[in-house]
Amino acid sequence: MNELGKKLCDIAFDKQKADYLLAMREESGNVAPVFISKGEDIGEANIDYPYQLVTILSRIYPWLNKGKIAIVARRCDEKALNETIKRGLFDGNRIAVIGLACSKEQIKKCRCNDPVPTKVDIGEPNNGVNTDELMNKLQRISPEERMDFWVRQFKKCNKCFACTTNCPVCFCEDCVLEERTFVAEKGIPPGLSFHMIRTFHLADKCIECGECERSCPVDIPLLTLRKMALKDIKDLYNFKPGDRETASPMLTTLEGELLEDDTHVC
Amino acid sequence: MARIGVFICHCGHNIASVVDVEKVTEFAKTLPGVVFASHNMYSCSEEGLGSIRDSIEENKLDRIVVAACTPRTHEPLFRRNCERAGVNKYLFEFVNIREHCSWIHAKEPEDATRKAMNLVAMGVAKAALLEPQTEGESNVVPVALVIGGGISGLAAASALVSQGIETHLVEKEASLGGILRDIEVIGPEMTESKKLIEELKRSIECSPKAHIHLSSRVTGLTGFIGNFEATISSEKCDEKVKVGAIIVATGGREFIPKGEYGYGSLPGVITQLELEKMLAKKEFPEKTVFIQCVGSRQPGRDFCSRMCCNTSIKNAIRIKEAKPDARVSVLHRDIMSYGTLAERVYMEAAEKGVRFMRYSLERIPMIKKKDSGLSVEVYDETLDEVIQLDADNVVLATPMVPIDDVKDVAMLLKVPVDKYGFFLEAHVKLRPVEFATEGVFICGTARWPSQVSECIAQGLAAAAKASVPIREGKVVIEPITAFSDSEKCIACGNCVIACPYEAIEIVEIDSKKQAKVNEAQCKGCGNCVAACHNDAMQQKGFGTRQLGAMIDALIKNALEVSE
Amino acid sequence: MSEFNPTILAFCCNWCSYAGADLAGVSRLQMPPNVHVIRVMCSAAVKPEYVFKALSQGIDGVLVLGCHIGDCHYMTGNHRTAKRFPLAQKILNDVGIDETRLKLDWVSAAEGEKFQQVITEFVGVIKKLGPNPLREVKF
Repeated sequence: MNELGKKLCDIAFDKQKADYLLAMREESGNVAPVFISKGEDIGEANIDYPYQLVTILSRIYPWLNKGKIAIVARRCDEKALNETIKRGLFDGNRIAVIGLACSKEQIKKCRCNDPVPTKVDIGEPNNGVNTDELMNKLQRISPEERMDFWVRQFKKCNKCFACTTNCPVCFCEDCVLEERTFVAEKGIPPGLSFHMIRTFHLADKCIECGECERSCPVDIPLLTLRKMALKDIKDLYNFKPGDRETASPMLTTLEGELLEDDTHVC
Repeated sequence: MARIGVFICHCGHNIASVVDVEKVTEFAKTLPGVVFASHNMYSCSEEGLGSIRDSIEENKLDRIVVAACTPRTHEPLFRRNCERAGVNKYLFEFVNIREHCSWIHAKEPEDATRKAMNLVAMGVAKAALLEPQTEGESNVVPVALVIGGGISGLAAASALVSQGIETHLVEKEASLGGILRDIEVIGPEMTESKKLIEELKRSIECSPKAHIHLSSRVTGLTGFIGNFEATISSEKCDEKVKVGAIIVATGGREFIPKGEYGYGSLPGVITQLELEKMLAKKEFPEKTVFIQCVGSRQPGRDFCSRMCCNTSIKNAIRIKEAKPDARVSVLHRDIMSYGTLAERVYMEAAEKGVRFMRYSLERIPMIKKKDSGLSVEVYDETLDEVIQLDADNVVLATPMVPIDDVKDVAMLLKVPVDKYGFFLEAHVKLRPVEFATEGVFICGTARWPSQVSECIAQGLAAAAKASVPIREGKVVIEPITAFSDSEKCIACGNCVIACPYEAIEIVEIDSKKQAKVNEAQCKGCGNCVAACHNDAMQQKGFGTRQLGAMIDALIKNALEVSE
Repeated sequence: MSEFNPTILAFCCNWCSYAGADLAGVSRLQMPPNVHVIRVMCSAAVKPEYVFKALSQGIDGVLVLGCHIGDCHYMTGNHRTAKRFPLAQKILNDVGIDETRLKLDWVSAAEGEKFQQVITEFVGVIKKLGPNPLREVKF
């Protein structure tokens, strides 16, 4: 157990009185998630690599009927927990958060504007960045050029479902995109509807962790697409996913609607 | 694999004069799953229905597609026909190639034919995925609500209570009778209106089943056929009543001229109702000129109010009978005295010396004030001559128009009005006293200017129609309710939030949390379906795979063919 | 080259806009023959997924027509419609599809003329835009 591992175990088991700890560790040169019970050896804990532990938690959770689980969470993980707890996937009382502040490099990679967890247990808080260069560029160019760009990107898609599988707020067991009801019969690449439907489904719950983009084997800039839709829903309804209080799911509730007469057509 | 039969209707010339039905039929035969296609003159006729049944039997069809008019009127008929032929009636799909095609693309037969082919392909694609359904039932509150205590509402309420049906009659005024309170006799048969009203009133008032709410309005309405809850408000209180069926008899009102022919400024220029009040007081003018079609059959209000001609003729005769020497002229554009009796009375008026003169909209009569009385200058089209008439009174025969708050009533009941503001029935011939909204009925002048005899007939018809669900005690729930695929459902609760009727809850079945739809509460809106992200929630008859297949069919036939 | 004849899909709710379309038919109001109506019970039953599917496979335009706000047969259905489709439009724009290829409007059962007007105008807009570029894109 390294120093970091010891610190994580202290926070999880002594301070937060958790029964389990979900974190990352290095083993034989690979960094991967680790899940331990109180008293077990965490090994060489590591926080250098972003990974969606909330997705891992949702896989483990159904098998654990009781006990408190501590989880190392960046700000985005924390927001993912809020979105999932709000939807009843986890019991919030059984989750303890070990707040991890992201490094400057990580913040830059994620183009993240909200990197500091509510309570920082590990790491030093750093300021977020407000711009996604690609998003800015896409907003500047003409719709035709924008379509060219995305068509080129989406033609690379081989429908591996890494983006959905690793997404912390994508929790359907059978994804509608696996069927042919809404996507073209032609198969792979799946065409634009696949990506637009996913964008729509995530618009009121995406927490910008960037796991879809990191997971994509063909480097489609999915985080940028997510950020564009998040800007849309912010512009329309002044809504930003990620806290436990706001109405959810935004698009299904009647909250925030501006309808008083019937002129609201688009 | 489904065995689909497609039947294309000519609807006489209505469809076939625009859409090439033979071409559409040949095209239908090429569609996946179609084993039989034909066209016939009138699919809805007994002959047409019979031939569909024969084809079902001969070809062992298990999915039926009829391309004809609108499902909003004819779907029940064709569904029943399927049932008669032993096919579950929900294995039927309707394609609208009349209202949505031939009638609106009359000048583009080729494009209309192509569109009809696309629509048929879409219908066939959906039909292939249809599943048999069983109907549910729900209880009916055995109480009726009649809104409006004029002649139509009285006739309806009287008929309902005479059947022993508990009835709430709501009238906004302090007494019953509506416009007839201001009219002494009703033409053309010269019935005494007071007698008629009193008789109907008595039949209602003496029934223990009747609840009369005077000076009251219906201010709230929720629910559906069989189970409405209406709020009846008066100055004193708000009362909530549960009813199974509703009859709208809110009537109309006389159009008040806005300065036409000097109304309001020239003394002696009066409306028909003002004349009625004079005649009731036995004040018979020496010289009377009626002007017909004031404010009707002209741009902006282009309908014929139908009752005004008969009313003028009736009042002309009354004046002539009281004062045989009185001079009475009727200036008209066309006399609408339809039917056997009214036409005879029109002749009788002419025989009694009432003068009928025809004017045109281009050259309307002019009225001038004289030292005593009025003078009317009219260009008689038939004589091709300008004629001067003296008059004590000029009576403006104006149309019946909708009541002022018709939009509010329509909004409350969630029923449509036409462009004039009259209520719109479900179908002018097939469902003339019903709204498309089940359990809500319409009669009298609220629907269209009607003679008293027609108002009564419609009131009785509406009562008969409204009593059907009440007598049956149950209404069939169309199987368009939602259901959740328990395998797919992850109990996220989107559907629970989306449902306007609180019909969905998250339950645990076989230790799996999932959404469950309470069928009795579900109204089949499909809101939950759109809210469900992983397609677990489905609506019977509107499955996402079915609608997806329709879109695919359109893409395949409209886009890929043209390439 | 022959004139561009767009292929358009419309979702109409059973109670208002479908009835409005029927009224337009009964009134013999003429309009361009490009629009294919799918009947649904409520505009809020229209999944934006259908729109994405149709547009990504080359349909030139999609109309979603419901009851006027306040007139929904299911009380609040069309409020949700009004909430969803503006976002769907913005997502179309994000990937470069002209957002006017999707239109949401309200047509009551009594508005045959409005139906005619909405259809005529929308077909005009789509004709001006030209064919959906995705029709040519082979994935």
